[in-house]
Amino acid sequence: MSNNLLSIRSLKKRFGGLQAVNVDKFDFNENQITSLIGPNGAGKTTFFDLITRFQNADSGSINFDGKNVTRLNSYKLARLGMVRTFQLTRVFDRMSVYENMQFAGSSITNEGFLNSLIQSSSLKNHEKLLIEKINETLELLNLSDMKNSYARELSGGQKKLLELGRSLMKSPKILLLDEPLAGVNPKLSEQLLQIIFDLNKKGINILMVEHNIDAVMKISERVVVMAEGKIISDGKPDFVRSDKNVIEAYLGSSNE
Amino acid sequence: MKKYIIAFFLLVISFLYIFLSNETGGARVFVNLMTFAGIYGLAAIGINVHFGWTGLLNFGHAAFMGIGAYTTVLLIPHSLGREGVVISSGLPLPLAILIGILAAALLGLFLGLPTLRLRGDYLAIVTIAAAEIFRLLVRDFEDLTGGVYGIIQFSDSLQNSRPDFITRFGESYDISPSQFWVGLLTWISIIVVLLILSRLKKSPWGRALRAVREDEDAVRALGKNAVLLKLQSFMLGAAIGGLSGIFLVFNYGTVQASTFVPVLTFYVWAALILGGVGSLAGPALGAVIFWVIIAGTDSISRFLFESPDGQQLAGVRFVIVGLLIMFFMIFRPSGILGKKEELLLDVK
Amino acid sequence: MLEQLGNGLLLGVIIALGSVALSLLYGVTRIVNFAHGEIIAFGAIVALFFSSSPDSTLLYLDRFSPLGINFSTSVILSILLSGVFGGLLELCLFKPLRKNNFGNIAVLVVTIGLSIFLRHVYLLFASAKPTSYILELQRREDYFGVQLTPRNVQVLIIGFAVMVFVGIFLTYTRTGKAMRAVRDSSDLASISGINSDYIILVTWVFSSMLAGFTGIIQGVINNVRWNMGFLILLLIFAGTVLGGIGTSFGAMFGGFIIGILVQLSVGLEFMDGHTEAKNAIALALMIIILLVRPQGIFGSKDRIS
Repeated sequence: MSNNLLSIRSLKKRFGGLQAVNVDKFDFNENQITSLIGPNGAGKTTFFDLITRFQNADSGSINFDGKNVTRLNSYKLARLGMVRTFQLTRVFDRMSVYENMQFAGSSITNEGFLNSLIQSSSLKNHEKLLIEKINETLELLNLSDMKNSYARELSGGQKKLLELGRSLMKSPKILLLDEPLAGVNPKLSEQLLQIIFDLNKKGINILMVEHNIDAVMKISERVVVMAEGKIISDGKPDFVRSDKNVIEAYLGSSNE
Repeated sequence: MKKYIIAFFLLVISFLYIFLSNETGGARVFVNLMTFAGIYGLAAIGINVHFGWTGLLNFGHAAFMGIGAYTTVLLIPHSLGREGVVISSGLPLPLAILIGILAAALLGLFLGLPTLRLRGDYLAIVTIAAAEIFRLLVRDFEDLTGGVYGIIQFSDSLQNSRPDFITRFGESYDISPSQFWVGLLTWISIIVVLLILSRLKKSPWGRALRAVREDEDAVRALGKNAVLLKLQSFMLGAAIGGLSGIFLVFNYGTVQASTFVPVLTFYVWAALILGGVGSLAGPALGAVIFWVIIAGTDSISRFLFESPDGQQLAGVRFVIVGLLIMFFMIFRPSGILGKKEELLLDVK
Repeated sequence: MLEQLGNGLLLGVIIALGSVALSLLYGVTRIVNFAHGEIIAFGAIVALFFSSSPDSTLLYLDRFSPLGINFSTSVILSILLSGVFGGLLELCLFKPLRKNNFGNIAVLVVTIGLSIFLRHVYLLFASAKPTSYILELQRREDYFGVQLTPRNVQVLIIGFAVMVFVGIFLTYTRTGKAMRAVRDSSDLASISGINSDYIILVTWVFSSMLAGFTGIIQGVINNVRWNMGFLILLLIFAGTVLGGIGTSFGAMFGGFIIGILVQLSVGLEFMDGHTEAKNAIALALMIIILLVRPQGIFGSKDRIS
């Protein structure tokens, strides 16, 4: 097999009469920001769900980090280092920002029922070590002031930041961001993009679905275009921008 | 802090009412009420782990209480069924109670393993159905459970352990010593359970349960096994339910199929909602207030009907219970002691 | 075993009607309505109140004496009143909850409270003893090997007719189509200009009329009592789940299966002497269905996630 970080072959998913996803080949290796774009209903989010195992594919295979993960549970895949965010932001509303981060960062062993009951010194040490990492991450995301607020009190953009921060606590190999800029005001968008860019420079692979084409073109080194479940174009932003398949797909959809 | 003061005053006033309205036997009525309140409070603490901490809808608590009770009682000396078959040998009581609690947890595992993958409202239907299946089986398999005739004469195992000073105290204040002993043990259990739970609530495990309550998908996306967490929560709550069921039958001194009817679960839910979903001591307080209210409804019955019969008393009681559940769920979903910030309004 | 088939069909028609009503309401409003059984009992009790002779003492509070109207008129009035009752529940309780963004689970707990409340109001006001409508007693006759009274046969035919009518209503009328549209996607429906509030109100009224009718059928076949709705509710859940939540045809089919299964299981050998356990079999089947095929026999998978 290839030594790609992520390697997908003939992945298919049908909903009734609709072929939602039909991707022959998708590889991801280089340490870069890759964006997935396409008109509404192109199957981008479903594709995300299939990769992260939140939905079962009808057929096809997914390899991640040298392992076949086609049938792996979503949470186990996340443990291997593939962490995702959601289109509709999913923060733990009635937990504080800090607790959101704590939960994301705490180890699975410590979350064991008996370990939590006994509360050994190693558990307490780990929880202490966590504090530093949480503070660093919150600092990075400009959320330090909101540390003790309930997550539901945050603005839409801040929730996006928190969700991103939570994912970072997992030290992921690859981050899948589903529309990180949706519903975020322009100023915060700018800031979020910069954060994503910096994270990538620190060595985190990023695959994101985004509708804001300007932002995508500015930040991405590779752009993948989906339409009607298929990948129709794949390359550097300039290449994709001038690809006539892409223009057709978008023009086609604007006539709807 | 304010709500604790309000709660305290509510309790003091209701206790005064109990003592003053029962000129003779006020203490007896009080002990009776507090014993039932303790048992229901313990059961409500179990549901609180399910619903308040983890967001699981368990409407079959009667089954967990029942299996705990039946397992324990059948393991100690007892007499069974229509003919009153006497079984005079058995395990030591503490061991039997432990096995009873374990049986409840195992029933939780058995029910939870397949159903906890399903959406929340399905769990509600499955648990209520499971409780009904449990009751029907208990009723029908008379050889094992005594059916509608039930099991009697098992109380000695517990009452023999009663210290003398409890007996003397009971006699001097005109209180039933055996009930006093059951009530005392129940409240001691509540304190122990709450101590354990307060430790768990602040632990990484408790935090993980809350995360599951908020958003399961996000939990999975962060590499945590949501189903396992739900299963553990389900088993823990079931075990606490089992323990409360054991106290319930020791309080009655008998157990029949009709002890664990579905309405028992609803009573416990009412106590939970009253006290405050999600809060630690809320359910226990809710149960006390619940039983004070129940005692109060009987006065309403006497006002409505000249001499209310059993059906009218039960009818008025449950009309009030239903109203309480609705009223608190709609207007004060955080109950008396719950945190306002943890309102359950927008649970999906 | 065959002698139980008649009873199975009768129980089946009750559960099927109740399941169609429950499934319709769930589909459109997403409310798992534990008070559904009490709407069923409402229909039965109101019909009893209208039709019983004025000098009978079936009501607890003797200041209410029955009206003694003829039975068919009572049935129609009772179905209409059930609709009004359902509509009032929506307008006074469930609509305000919806507008205040109450989640499904909070509403579910409210329906449990409502169910307990209503059931015991019935206990206080209506007869605690099982009571029958004033209809002449009939002997069972043989219809193709199935033992039924002539009235039972009428009830079965009317029950079927009503279910066919519901099917036609949902498929062909404008309101029915709109209900299905809201059921399948409320967002989509609101975009396409369907007034969800109106459709939900219509659904409540329609479903409650159907539930009230179910209660009357149950009262005719068995008898009327305060907790009749609660007793049948779990079987209705089983029928709905078996056929597939949110599909009317599935609910109807599932209801019949459950009804027949419950009655036929009485004849099974290992059930000898365990008559009470017959309901347990249906409930166990429901749990198994939820495990292996949570969308039910006719449901589609994406409805349940």
